Amino acid sequence: MFEHLVTGLQRPNFIAFVVLFLWGFFIMVTHPNLVKKLIGMYLVQTSVILLLVTFSAKKEATVPIVTAADMDRSATQLNPADYTNPLPHVLTLTAIVVQVATLGVSLALVTAIYQQRDSLNEDEILKSMQ
Amino acid sequence: MSHHLPVMIFLLPFLTAVCMPMAGLKYRHGCRSLALMAVVVMCIAACVNLTVVLDHGESRYAFGGWSISTSLPAPPLGIEWVNDTLASVMLVALSGLSVVCLLYGGPLSTALPASRVVLYYTLILMLISGLTGLVFAGDIFNVFVFLEVAALSAYALVGISGGKALVAAFRYLILGTLGASFYLLGVVFFYASTGTLNMADLARQLADHPELLSSKAVLGGSIFMFIGLGIKMALFPLHGWLPDAYTQAPEAISPMLAALMTKVALYAWVRILFWVLGATASFGQVHLLTLLGTLGIFATVIGALLALTQQNVKRMFAYGGISHVGLILIGVSQGNQTGFAGSMFYLINDAVMQAGLFFIAGIAIYHFQARTVNDMANLRGGSPLMIGTIIVLAMSMIGIPPTGGFFGKWHIILGALEARNYMAVGAVIVATLLTMAYFQRLFVNMFHQRRVASSTSSVELPLSLRASVGITSAGVLILGLCSDPMIKLFRDAAASVGL
Repeated sequence: MFEHLVTGLQRPNFIAFVVLFLWGFFIMVTHPNLVKKLIGMYLVQTSVILLLVTFSAKKEATVPIVTAADMDRSATQLNPADYTNPLPHVLTLTAIVVQVATLGVSLALVTAIYQQRDSLNEDEILKSMQ
Repeated sequence: MSHHLPVMIFLLPFLTAVCMPMAGLKYRHGCRSLALMAVVVMCIAACVNLTVVLDHGESRYAFGGWSISTSLPAPPLGIEWVNDTLASVMLVALSGLSVVCLLYGGPLSTALPASRVVLYYTLILMLISGLTGLVFAGDIFNVFVFLEVAALSAYALVGISGGKALVAAFRYLILGTLGASFYLLGVVFFYASTGTLNMADLARQLADHPELLSSKAVLGGSIFMFIGLGIKMALFPLHGWLPDAYTQAPEAISPMLAALMTKVALYAWVRILFWVLGATASFGQVHLLTLLGTLGIFATVIGALLALTQQNVKRMFAYGGISHVGLILIGVSQGNQTGFAGSMFYLINDAVMQAGLFFIAGIAIYHFQARTVNDMANLRGGSPLMIGTIIVLAMSMIGIPPTGGFFGKWHIILGALEARNYMAVGAVIVATLLTMAYFQRLFVNMFHQRRVASSTSSVELPLSLRASVGITSAGVLILGLCSDPMIKLFRDAAASVGL
């Protein structure tokens, strides 16, 4: 138990991920306000992106750019462990684009609902629909 | 030239969708023919692609010439598309249904606000291109991106006409995004434990290092992926968004969504299940396929039960679709070729049937003012073609011989018997009886009741509506007639993944 705690504390990003994910999920499920639901959704998406980008980090590594000083060394002489992994960053960028698009569509829907029903409370909206 | 066919098939609806707002600015009435033309050409290209694949075997497309899973020993760096028999058959079904759905959507899109018609065609083409990408994707992150491209267009399409549909669209969006987040989380777990996203490379790594498959990262990753795709395919306990979204969506849109969205998500899961994890994957003591089979049993029986209790016709058909997702999952999870082939055949059939049923429901609402089961008597004013279509589709949904639904169910049951899984056989039969019961309700109201409204005497339907209704019912019968070669094709696909 104690060891688990210690290993967990050495990876604060994982703890942050779990807290953010569950927090966002909780807001999404329990809050009747539509905009707050969206905030919860955004937290869930962002927490996953945080986890994704965490895996690119390496101890004492630098940005994955080959500088002019490295150019005269051949590819086999470059040590991959010296550079952070760029792939998760690329995936993150794509995921953020998806996230922004989703947020745009969802805000448009919420605006339309608000204009029509004059309320952002889900319970009131459902009541007015019957 | 034929090498680039998959990409060109994808680009056709995509580029047309991008050009549509520009074209629609000046020629609003040209939108429909433009969209229809793009989809018809896409359908022809998909048929050509199928013949190429049947002649030359599967091919893999490397985007930008980067290394992919076949360019060993180089690690797969680029995006890969897999164009095999399963994908090409799915693509023909997808593009064919898109043509029929657009044919049907044309006359009904006049019910939308005039300014939205251009957007309707743009979004529907975006949806088609997203689903096309999903069918070809050979990379688990790519699946996520296309899942979201398709889903975003679907959210917007559900809410396109405003009104009550907005709330349903919002709920669909919240749950769909949650599903996508879960799926992405699964992708992260897979990437963290294997360092690759390419499906073929993942499968190779999992085969080379059996300890990976029992590791918590891969276990958690596949569970998260399944939950994510489970929401997208509306598997029973995760189906909450579907009935509202399909019922409230404008009539011009719900057939498209019902036919394609959940089926393609299910197809993506089948890809990951067999092409990445492998048919023998097990978690601790539990065999993965057993788990899925059990979920399928619950989904198919409870979905059919819920369908039986519905008053709204669209809602009834939506629950019927949920029941059939479970049925397909039962067939897939029997772990033998017969079950796999049967359920893949049923998947295509179900797409056609769902499209047809929602056509009927849409026409019933639009032309006969019949929303609930009790109003169905109004449909007696319809043409023989339409009544005939309802009967053919009902036969296929229940599973009566000359139709495609029968052969799919037959092979699923045969597969379950082969695996000695009598629970699954029982569930399929119970679901069949329940399906019969809810169609019985429909027919009793249609034929035995005194007509409610006599004002809706014979209604002349526009040609394209008649064509789309006729094509789906003919499609169900034709699928039944050529079930043999198709089942054989899917058996070969199953054999290629070691079933």
